[in-house]
Amino acid sequence: MCRLPAFLIAILCVIPAFSRAETPADWAYKPVAKASVPQSGFANPIDAFLGAKLAEAKLAFATPADKTTLLRRVTFDLSGLPPTPEEIAAFLKDDTEKAYEKVVDRLLASPHFGERVATWWLDVARFAETDGFKSDDHRPNAWRYRDYVIDSFNSDKPYDRFVKEQIAGDELTGDNAAIIATGFLRHFPDEYNAVNLEQRRQEILNDITDTTAAAFLGVTLGCAKCHDHKTDPITHIDYYRFQSFFAGIWPTEKPLLSQEAISAIDAKSKAWEAKTDELRQQMAELEKPFREKAEKKERSRFQEEYVSLIDIPSEQRTPWQKQIAAMVEKQVYSAKRFTPTQMKSPVKEKWEGMSKRMAELAKDKPADPPMAMVMTDVGATAPPQHRLKRGDWRKPGEVVEPGYLSAFDDRDAESVTTKIGTSGRRTALANWIAADKNPLASRVIVNRIWQHLFGRGIVASSSDFGLTGERPSHPELLDWLAQDFVANARSMKRVYRQIVTTTAYRQSGIGNESHYAKDPENKLLWQMPRKRLDGESLRDAILAVTGTLNAKRGGPSVYPELPSELKGTAGWKVSEDPNERSRRSVYVYVKRNLRYPLFSLFDSPDRSETCARRFTTTTAPQALTLLNDSLVLGYAKTFAERVIADVGDDTGKVIDRTMFLALGRKPTTEEAAKLSAFFAKSTGTTIDRVTDLCHSVLNLNEFLYID
Amino acid sequence: MHVPAFASRREFLHLAGGGFGALAMSAMNADAAPTDDPLTPKKPHFAAKAKSVIFLFMEGGPSHVDLFDPKPELTKRHGQKLPDSFGRVITPMGTGGNTLLASKRKFAKHGKSGLDVSDWLPQMATMADDWCLMRACWADGLNHVGSVCQMNTGSVLAGKPSLGSWAIYGLGSANRNMPGFVVLTDNGEVTGGARNWGTGFMPATYQGTLFRNGANPILNLATPANVTADRQKQKLELIGQLNEIHKRQRPHDSELDARQAAYELAFRMQATAPETVDLSTEDAATKEMYGLNRKETADFGHRCLLARRLVERGVRFVQVYCGAGSQWDAHADIEGNHTKLCTRADQPTAALIKDLKRRGLLESTLVIWGGEFGRTPMSEGASGRDHNPFGFSMLMAGGGVKAGTTHGTTDEFGLRGVDGKAHVSDFHATIMHLLGFDHEHLTYKHNGLDARLTGTGGHVVKEVIA
Repeated sequence: MCRLPAFLIAILCVIPAFSRAETPADWAYKPVAKASVPQSGFANPIDAFLGAKLAEAKLAFATPADKTTLLRRVTFDLSGLPPTPEEIAAFLKDDTEKAYEKVVDRLLASPHFGERVATWWLDVARFAETDGFKSDDHRPNAWRYRDYVIDSFNSDKPYDRFVKEQIAGDELTGDNAAIIATGFLRHFPDEYNAVNLEQRRQEILNDITDTTAAAFLGVTLGCAKCHDHKTDPITHIDYYRFQSFFAGIWPTEKPLLSQEAISAIDAKSKAWEAKTDELRQQMAELEKPFREKAEKKERSRFQEEYVSLIDIPSEQRTPWQKQIAAMVEKQVYSAKRFTPTQMKSPVKEKWEGMSKRMAELAKDKPADPPMAMVMTDVGATAPPQHRLKRGDWRKPGEVVEPGYLSAFDDRDAESVTTKIGTSGRRTALANWIAADKNPLASRVIVNRIWQHLFGRGIVASSSDFGLTGERPSHPELLDWLAQDFVANARSMKRVYRQIVTTTAYRQSGIGNESHYAKDPENKLLWQMPRKRLDGESLRDAILAVTGTLNAKRGGPSVYPELPSELKGTAGWKVSEDPNERSRRSVYVYVKRNLRYPLFSLFDSPDRSETCARRFTTTTAPQALTLLNDSLVLGYAKTFAERVIADVGDDTGKVIDRTMFLALGRKPTTEEAAKLSAFFAKSTGTTIDRVTDLCHSVLNLNEFLYID
Repeated sequence: MHVPAFASRREFLHLAGGGFGALAMSAMNADAAPTDDPLTPKKPHFAAKAKSVIFLFMEGGPSHVDLFDPKPELTKRHGQKLPDSFGRVITPMGTGGNTLLASKRKFAKHGKSGLDVSDWLPQMATMADDWCLMRACWADGLNHVGSVCQMNTGSVLAGKPSLGSWAIYGLGSANRNMPGFVVLTDNGEVTGGARNWGTGFMPATYQGTLFRNGANPILNLATPANVTADRQKQKLELIGQLNEIHKRQRPHDSELDARQAAYELAFRMQATAPETVDLSTEDAATKEMYGLNRKETADFGHRCLLARRLVERGVRFVQVYCGAGSQWDAHADIEGNHTKLCTRADQPTAALIKDLKRRGLLESTLVIWGGEFGRTPMSEGASGRDHNPFGFSMLMAGGGVKAGTTHGTTDEFGLRGVDGKAHVSDFHATIMHLLGFDHEHLTYKHNGLDARLTGTGGHVVKEVIA
C-alpha cells in the first residue's frame, strides 16, 4: 500500500532536523502499528502508556483531583455546562466505587453531550449559515447540518458511518439524515454573484478538497495545488486526483418529505396554479418588458461563453456546462421578487391591484416542504478533471482520474455504481477514508477527542499530520487508541469514556511543583491541563448559573441580543421570544461576517475555513466586555435575583450561594472574609449589592478556567 | 463617563490588595515597569529613528498606474493587447488577455523631488518631498484574503503574527495605559478579519486591539451609567483579591497572570482612553485640516487624527484602514470607485503628515500608505482593473526613510516590477530596519524553529533609508 513518494523526500530536505528524531517526519503515512501496552500498575491502558513516559522522565501523575473539581471538569467537558447543585450533592453523597463512572455514563447519555462535542466538529467543518464574502447571504437550511452533527454524536453513530454520510450520504440510502449530512460539502464560502464562474467553481472545489482532506485525513493538501516545485509531480497530480472525487458536484436543496407527501404537495400546488393561472399570466404580461430588461442587464455581466450556456436546453448540456449554467441561471433568473419601481401609471396601478389579489390568493398556496441544503452529483458522469498548472484554472493540464493519495495508496479509485444516478466517486472516497487500513482517519479522530479533553492533541497540529505538522508526543498511545477505536465499532462515546476515566484525566490540575522544571509545557501530563472556557461555553455557563438556560433542542438558529453598538446589523433580527435568546450557544446563528461578539471575543473562529484548534487569547477587550457590557450586567442581575430567591438576603448565605452556583464550591475562610468585606462596603439596594457580588464572581479566573 | 478614580496603577494595585503577584510587587517597589512584563519597553538591535508606525491600509488594492506610476506607453497603446513578450498573465478575473486601459488621470511632478502623483491625490502631492515612493513592490497572493494577510503578517496563509505584533514584541509598549497596537477600521469588515492583527503563534499579549468607528471606538470602554465609580472600583478589587488567592495555588500558569493583567490594562484604558479618543480638545483648524467638516473625509480624517493622538501617547503601532472590505477593488468603473476613495483618503493622509511634522513627530513616526496589491494595466470589463500583485506602489514617510525618493520601476505598462523590486518580505524587512531591528534576528521560537516576520526571505531596501 505504501511507497515513499518523491514528494516526501523532496519535502524532507527542507525540514530541519528535530531533536525528537525517534519519530520520523512521515510517521503518519505509515500503517498504524500494533502497539503493545507497557507493563504497569495501571488498569487503564492509556495510563500505562502515559505512565511509562512519565516514569522515563522521572515524573509522575499528580494526586487525584478532589470530587468537586473532577465533577466540574468532566461536566464542562462532556456537556459544556457547569454541574447543577443537585448533581454536585448527588456525587458528593455517592461513596460507591463506581460513583464517577455513573456520572460519566449520565453525561454521555445526556443530549447536552452532542451539543457540546458538536462545536469542535462544526469548527472543522467550517459550518456557517451565511455565504461569507461581501453579501454574506443567509443559508436558510444550513442549520439542519448542525442538528445532524449533534444527533450523530448523541446517538454514537459509528465514525465510519459519520464519514460516509458527510462525504456521500446522498449515494448511501434514501435516509434524510444521510442526505442532510452532505451539507458538510456545502459550507464553502460563496460569492453567488461572481461572474468569473470557472474560477468560482475551482475555488469551491479547492475548498471542498482541502477541507475534506484536513477534516478526515489530517492532511494539509493546499500546497500541492499550485506547487512551484517542479520536482513534485506526484503531489501535484495527487491533489487533482483527489479533487476529481468532487468534480461532479451539484449543490442543491432537497425536500425532506416522503415521495407521497411531496406528490401531495405537488398536486395541491398544481391545483392552486390552475386556479390562479389567469391572474398570474396577466401579471407576467405586465412584468415581461421589465423582467426582460433586467435579464438582459444580468446577462451582460457575463462572458459570452458562460451566458450562452443557459440557452442550451438543459438535457443537452454537458456536465461541466450544467454546473456553470446553473451558476449563471441563479443570477439571471434571480429569485428576487419583482418590484414595480420602474412601472409607470396606469400600468403600475393595474399591476398593484393584481398584486393585492395575488397576495390574497397566496394564502391558499400550499406551504413549501421543509428543505435541506445538500450535495449530490450533476449526473453519472463528472466533468473531466484536469491537473491545473500552478493551480491556475486557466492552465489545464492532462485529465486525471479519481485516485487516492499516492503516499498511502497509489491505485485509481474503485468504481462505484449508485442507485441514484450519480458518479459514485464520493462513495469511493468515503469507503477509502473509512477503511480499516487507512492509517490516518482513525488516528485523526481519536486525536481530536484527545485534544478536546486535554486541550492539546497527542499530535498538537490536529489537522496536520503531515511533514510540516508536529510529531506525536505519544506515538504508541495514538496508535493503540486508533486500533482500539477501529476494533470497537468506531464508537466515539467509547473513546470519550475511556479517556475521562483514566488516572491522567482524573488527576489534579495542581501537580508536583518540582516537575515544572522538567516539563514546563506539561506535554507528558504530570498534571491535568487547565482549560479556559470558549466563548460558547462561557455564555452557556452564565445562562446556566443564572438559571435562565433554555434547554430546548434543535431547530432553526436563534438570534440573541447584540451589544448596543452592533444593534441593527443586517441579517441579525433578534429573536422575538426572549426564551429563544437563552438557548444554548450551539444554536446561535452563525453569520460569517458577524460572529456573535462574545464568541469571537473568546476566540471562536470565523468559520471561513476549517479550524482544527482554537487559539486561547487573553485581551483587555475581554475584560472590558465582562466588566461593562450591558448584557453581562443583565446576566449578573438575573443571577442575583436567583440567589435572593434561593436564600434571602442574609450576607453569609448570599455569599455561599453565589459561590456555590458559580464555582460549585463554598468559599474558603480567606475568600469568605474578602467577600464579606466587599459586601459590607457595598452600598445601594440589596439587589444592587448582590448583583455586584454576582458580577464579580462571573469575572473570576476560576469561573473561566476549569481545573 | 464613569471611570474608577484611581490616581495611578500603583494605587489600583494597592487597593486591590497588592494582588498581582510579580506585577504588583515590582510596582510597589518602584515606578519602573516590572521586568517580567512582556511589554516593557525594550531597545531594538540598533539605534533607529522610528519609534512608532502608522500604517494607512488602502484595502482592496489602489491602482498605482492611476496614482503614482504614470505610463505613457499604456496611454499610447490603449485598446491593444499586451505584447506577446509578456507571456500569459494570470490574474484572478482572467483579464490577462484583455486590452490595455489608459489612465484617464493627469499626472504631474511635484515638489523639489519631482514625485509623480496624479490629480486624484492633490493634497498628498503637496507633501511630495516627504514621501518615499517604492514603485516595484510585489506580492504572492492573487486574492484579497491572502494578500491582505500577507501585507499584514508576511504570509498569505492565516496564523502568523502580524507586523504590529512583531513591532511590540520587539519594542514593548511605551504606554502601559493603552494597548501597544491599535487597529482602526471603518464601516467595512477587514477582509480576513482578526488574523490581520492577530499574534498567530505568539502570545496574545502582542495582538492588535480593534477600535471601532464612531464616538465609542472601544467597545464597552465606559462603565454603564448606572454603575458608580465606587461600585466598579470595589468589584475590581474583589476580582483581583480572589484571583490572587486562586493563583497562589496554581504557579507557573501565565494565562492566569495574563488575564489579571488584562483587567489591569482594561482599568487603565478606562482611565486614559476616553481622553485619548476625545477629539474635542483639538482646535477647529486641525479638525478642518483633517477634513472632519466634510462628509467625504470626516470618517477617515477622524481616524487619522486619532492615530496621531495615539502615537503621541506612545502607542507603538497604529493601523488605519481606509476602505475595509476591499473597497478599493475597482474591477469595474475605476473612475467612479477611485474618485470616491481617493477623495476619502487624500486630505486626511496629507493632514496627518503635516500635523506629525509640525509637532516634530514625523521623524519618529513611520507612516505607510498602500494596499495589498495594485491594479492591472489591462482592463476588466469596459472600465475596471484587475488585481496586480506583480508590480505596485507603496508609500512611506517619516521614521527615517529617505524623503523625496522614488525607488524601483515597473515595465512600460506598470504590470511587473523591473528594477528595484521589493517583495512584501523586503518591504517588511525595511520596516523592521527602520524600527531598529535586523529582521533575521528578531525571532520567536515556534515548533523548534526561530520564526521571523520575513520567513526565509527579506532584504532591507537600503535605497529608501535616509
